[in-house]
Amino acid sequence: MERRVVITGSSAITPIGHGKDQIVDSLLKGTSGVKPLREDEFLGRYIHSRVYGTVDYPIAYDFKRNHRKTMGPVAYYACQVAKEVLEQSGLTEDFITSGRLGVAFGSIHGSPTVQRNIYRIFFGATENVAVQGIGAVDYLKSMVHTTAVNITKMFGITGRVISSGTACTTSSQSIGYGYESVKFGMQDAMLCGGADEYDTITVAVFDNLLACSTAFNSEPHRTPRPFDKLRDGLVVGEGAGAIMLEEYEFARKRGANILGEVIGFACNNNGGDLILPNLKGITNTLKLGVENAKINPLDVDLISAHATATKMGDIIEAQAISDVFGDNPYIVGLKSYTGHTMAACGVMETIMSLYIMQEGFIAPTLNLEEIDERCTMIKHVQKILQQPVRTAAIQNFAFGGVNTILLIRKFS
Amino acid sequence: MTRQEIQHEVKNIFLREFEIENPGMDDDLRETYEFDSIDAIELLLAIENFLGYEITQEEKKQAINIRTINQICDYIEKIAKTRKPSLVVK
Repeated sequence: MERRVVITGSSAITPIGHGKDQIVDSLLKGTSGVKPLREDEFLGRYIHSRVYGTVDYPIAYDFKRNHRKTMGPVAYYACQVAKEVLEQSGLTEDFITSGRLGVAFGSIHGSPTVQRNIYRIFFGATENVAVQGIGAVDYLKSMVHTTAVNITKMFGITGRVISSGTACTTSSQSIGYGYESVKFGMQDAMLCGGADEYDTITVAVFDNLLACSTAFNSEPHRTPRPFDKLRDGLVVGEGAGAIMLEEYEFARKRGANILGEVIGFACNNNGGDLILPNLKGITNTLKLGVENAKINPLDVDLISAHATATKMGDIIEAQAISDVFGDNPYIVGLKSYTGHTMAACGVMETIMSLYIMQEGFIAPTLNLEEIDERCTMIKHVQKILQQPVRTAAIQNFAFGGVNTILLIRKFS
Repeated sequence: MTRQEIQHEVKNIFLREFEIENPGMDDDLRETYEFDSIDAIELLLAIENFLGYEITQEEKKQAINIRTINQICDYIEKIAKTRKPSLVVK
């Protein structure tokens, strides 16, 4: 049994805005969400990269204490976008709590803010006091599936829980596995997404790997620069996104507002190096995705590339796109707006692609001024295009050699 | 420490830690305020801080059936009696 899977809700908290209106406005105006790295009295002062994809606007949370007590900052982000998606979808409380709705949601490592406080107690106190200082709920706030289960708790969701923690493919896997859960009849709907909070540990990791941007510290909005000759690495960011996936007939019968359709997903592994991008592995992923969607590569109008703006990553991805899709689809690197929001990037880029489809324009890759000659074989977007998009692919690749591709289509 | 002082501190703990303002002395905390097992653990930590010493694992297990503020006060009184004379309820 293979069922059609449609999208009936979407929401994102991103460095370029919260919700569709703000995000679309930023995409149209070319507004970057990359700002100076915030001080955190921890690692900030030691990091060479001084830029960050920043959520610097207030968010009006109204969660009850009973829910707040098990939430770290990452779960606040996750529960807020989940709440907005549930409201938007119009699903009833009876359905939400029926077991027919599941959750696929993750973060790269739970809540580092909470973990950091535990370390502070551990290293700064006697053994006895350290034990006293660690709260009963610290694990619930910091565990890797904290986002997913705080969502289930808050809304009484009783279906399956999938909580990927595969770095940069976390939320693309959430959507992909949620898609498969609905497609193959295991759930009638899945709330899918990912979140990551402000965290300098992640920046420090990439900084030590010489993968972070450092050349634009005094002009944060000029980085990252996917596919650009002057690109010098990624910019870590924060935020969250969620979408509601539903079985098409169920959505149609209840009169849901269908925003788009997921038509394919693929995920594989390079089977080797855990860091370096791998042309063969990525190319295979893209081919598998096209096969899974049962479409011709030429049907794809737009590709949201992973495009972190690292030296090698962008070149390998451009080659893989060229090998599978030729120079037909428009290519955009949406991290140029948000930075690399880690666990949230897959769902954020899916949502931005959905908005692009709905609004009939293609946002350009920010800061793409002079295309690296090794990336010229694909069709880059350097200025806003008024261009209808029917089918889009969202590509994400992660440490560990994990690759994903999602294919979505405008609903008609 | 008087019973009244204990009641006053317990209500302070409920306001400070659980955002529950002036709970009734015999209200079922679970039914009325959605007080759950996680809250109970946090409450025991707050009681330890209040008393100034650690509650033993055995004593903590005795708290498992507590449902009301009055029962919490009884529990604190009972523990205090086994410790410093100055903390014994008058």
